[in-house]
Amino acid sequence: MAYSFPEEVLEHVFSFLSSEKDRNAVSLVCKSWYEMERWCRRRIFVGNCYAVNPKIMIRRFPEVKSVELKGKPHFADFNLVPEGWGGYAYPWIVEIARGYPWLEEIRLKRMVVTDESLELISKSFKNFKVLVLSSCEGFSTDGLAAIAANCRNLRVLELRECEVEDLSGHWLSHFPDSFTSLESLNMGCLNSEVSFSALERLVARSPNLKTLRLNRAVPLEKLPTLLQLAPQLVELGTGSYSAEIRSDLCSSLLEAFSRCKNLKGLSGFWDVVPAYLPAFYSMCPRLTFLNLSYATTQSPDLTKIVSQCHNLQRLWVLDYIEDTGLNALSMSCKDLQELRVFPSDPFVADANVLLTEQGLVSVSEGCPKLQSVLYFCRQFSNSALTTIAKNRPNLTTFRLCILEPRAPDYLTFEPLDSGFGSIVQHCKNLRRLSLSGLLTDRVFQHIGTHAKKLDMLSIAFAGDSDLGLHYVLSGCESLRKLEIRDCPFGDKALLANADKLETMRSLWMSSCAVSFGACKVLGQKMPGLNVEVIDERENLDSIPHNSPVEKLYIYRTVAGERFDMPHFVRTMGKDNRRFK
Amino acid sequence: MELELTLSPPNQRRQPTKKSGHGGNTVTKSPLLSWSQEEDDEPNKTFFTGDYQQDLDGEGQGLNGWPPLHSWRRRLIEGEWFNERVDEEEGDNMNEVNNIYNESLFVKVKMDGVGIARKIDLNAFHSYQMLTTTLLHMFDKYVEIDEDGASYTLMYQHKDGHWLLPGDLPWEMFIGTVQRIRVARN
Repeated sequence: MAYSFPEEVLEHVFSFLSSEKDRNAVSLVCKSWYEMERWCRRRIFVGNCYAVNPKIMIRRFPEVKSVELKGKPHFADFNLVPEGWGGYAYPWIVEIARGYPWLEEIRLKRMVVTDESLELISKSFKNFKVLVLSSCEGFSTDGLAAIAANCRNLRVLELRECEVEDLSGHWLSHFPDSFTSLESLNMGCLNSEVSFSALERLVARSPNLKTLRLNRAVPLEKLPTLLQLAPQLVELGTGSYSAEIRSDLCSSLLEAFSRCKNLKGLSGFWDVVPAYLPAFYSMCPRLTFLNLSYATTQSPDLTKIVSQCHNLQRLWVLDYIEDTGLNALSMSCKDLQELRVFPSDPFVADANVLLTEQGLVSVSEGCPKLQSVLYFCRQFSNSALTTIAKNRPNLTTFRLCILEPRAPDYLTFEPLDSGFGSIVQHCKNLRRLSLSGLLTDRVFQHIGTHAKKLDMLSIAFAGDSDLGLHYVLSGCESLRKLEIRDCPFGDKALLANADKLETMRSLWMSSCAVSFGACKVLGQKMPGLNVEVIDERENLDSIPHNSPVEKLYIYRTVAGERFDMPHFVRTMGKDNRRFK
Repeated sequence: MELELTLSPPNQRRQPTKKSGHGGNTVTKSPLLSWSQEEDDEPNKTFFTGDYQQDLDGEGQGLNGWPPLHSWRRRLIEGEWFNERVDEEEGDNMNEVNNIYNESLFVKVKMDGVGIARKIDLNAFHSYQMLTTTLLHMFDKYVEIDEDGASYTLMYQHKDGHWLLPGDLPWEMFIGTVQRIRVARN
């Protein structure tokens, strides 16, 4: 069969394909499609920076404009990955600077980014536009100053939940007066105070600014000024929302907010003084996203707010909202798609708020479009889980965190197997699931049987034996990310399902029962996997082979074993020099 | 249950069929281990029992990395930030924990070896004896405690930050100065 389409036509057709999966599929059709596709791929997403070598990436895709990388495993967010494990951005930046001088966008998540890396970014890409750093660490405000000073065409600078060495707020003043292209600035995670006049001038000369997320150091008194300068804002993160109660500030806030006709998303609300909350009530009907998860304000205020947000699609809030607030949410916000309820006092068993399973049940009843749930609470029952599952079979993300490990159904004292079983049975499109509470191997049998679209599963303090892990690995066809802590899962399930691991991005297991010996066997027999044992104990070499490892991180890779590991990380079964 | 390894030597392996992208299992390779369909009777004995419940200075939050909150958010909470309320009338931050003019006087109690802390209302007790007895029984579902609690020592944090042994002060004075309590293992 001869090709009737010239290359240019095919290339044009391919340009409409934005999804990674589609492009990957296209490139597998035949050699010429592979060739054509690789020349016109513009965005690359690397879910694990150790899965591929940057040189390989650059060789295959020579004309990339946007690179997104992820480094550390997800459990690093909870401090389970020791410092120094890896995830260094610098080697990638060096190669990318060499290979993609016209790169426009870099997005990094859970990576160690040094000031050196930021300086290199700021100087290497003439048309650099977007820098997004999520959960990154290793840099200081000096690195930010370099970005501000050198990236003439920068549009987006977002720092999300990063650990930044805050030397001073002076970095913001490095944006030159000629710099006017800013569209999005998120400095919410920084602590130090920036020069307010520099911020004011920056906002004033950025007509395209759509997203502005301030940090806690920006006082409430300054907010009206900024809003007057940027009434076109679509997303705003306030700074501190606290001040002495003054009527002039109240009215100027009210006025400033009412001018922002395009505002759809609000966040921030550090240190809330409730008296100032009504200032943005007029915005509520237009809001689609509201992040009140730092607002330490009580249920009545929260209830009043959500009751007015008739178009709300995503709500992040503290458990101060209580069941009454969630009930109001279920009645007022029929477009709600995502709900996240965070704990205000998570380290104490006794409840400080009246938030129970009932709140979530109400929302599941009243909000027909609810797809994504993250819910922290203190107790749950199988019947509530089953009710939620039947109410909302369209759930795609369900993350329930019952604060006390291994907490049973508080009504029947049984495990929560059947409740979560209902979830996976009814929610056929479930892609992400986090389990908690008392769970036996049975719940994993349900998951393996029903959760066919499940992409990511998080397990803690659950299961009885290897059978649990076996059910998951052998049954969950779409599983790509599995993270497990403190479960009695061991060698048998892992070795019996070794092939499955090559179809997944990664597997994390910590405080489980997988032995050194099994890790070595796995590493030896599966060349497509890196089997990393992360173990900080001393005298590791004298621990017997059938003893369990502290932590285990297995991921598929075409880059071979890595060589930037600290002493407490070993790649098993590849290089016998490092571990006998 | 015995492990059954069914590895064949490398040269004798069948050529695996081409995988379609990243999805689906390859069925043709022989597994490293064949799974026996019997249910496992014995739970894994070699369960890793590391120090994942260690405290930090006796004030630690117990289990490492639990509950699963982003470290950034966790740091805010640990700064006791969420538990301070802003009193609208007074305009001050009132730490409810140490306000003896409230009807209830809640303090946190943390026991060594138990991941989750509890809160108790000191105004509900009238003596050290009552307090000790209650505390020991509060935690008995988590840890085995002998009747007289001989293997544990009660300590409290004074409002000036120091950790002290209770008993020196009269009860009414004690409840006015205590910030939090720790039940330490001897």
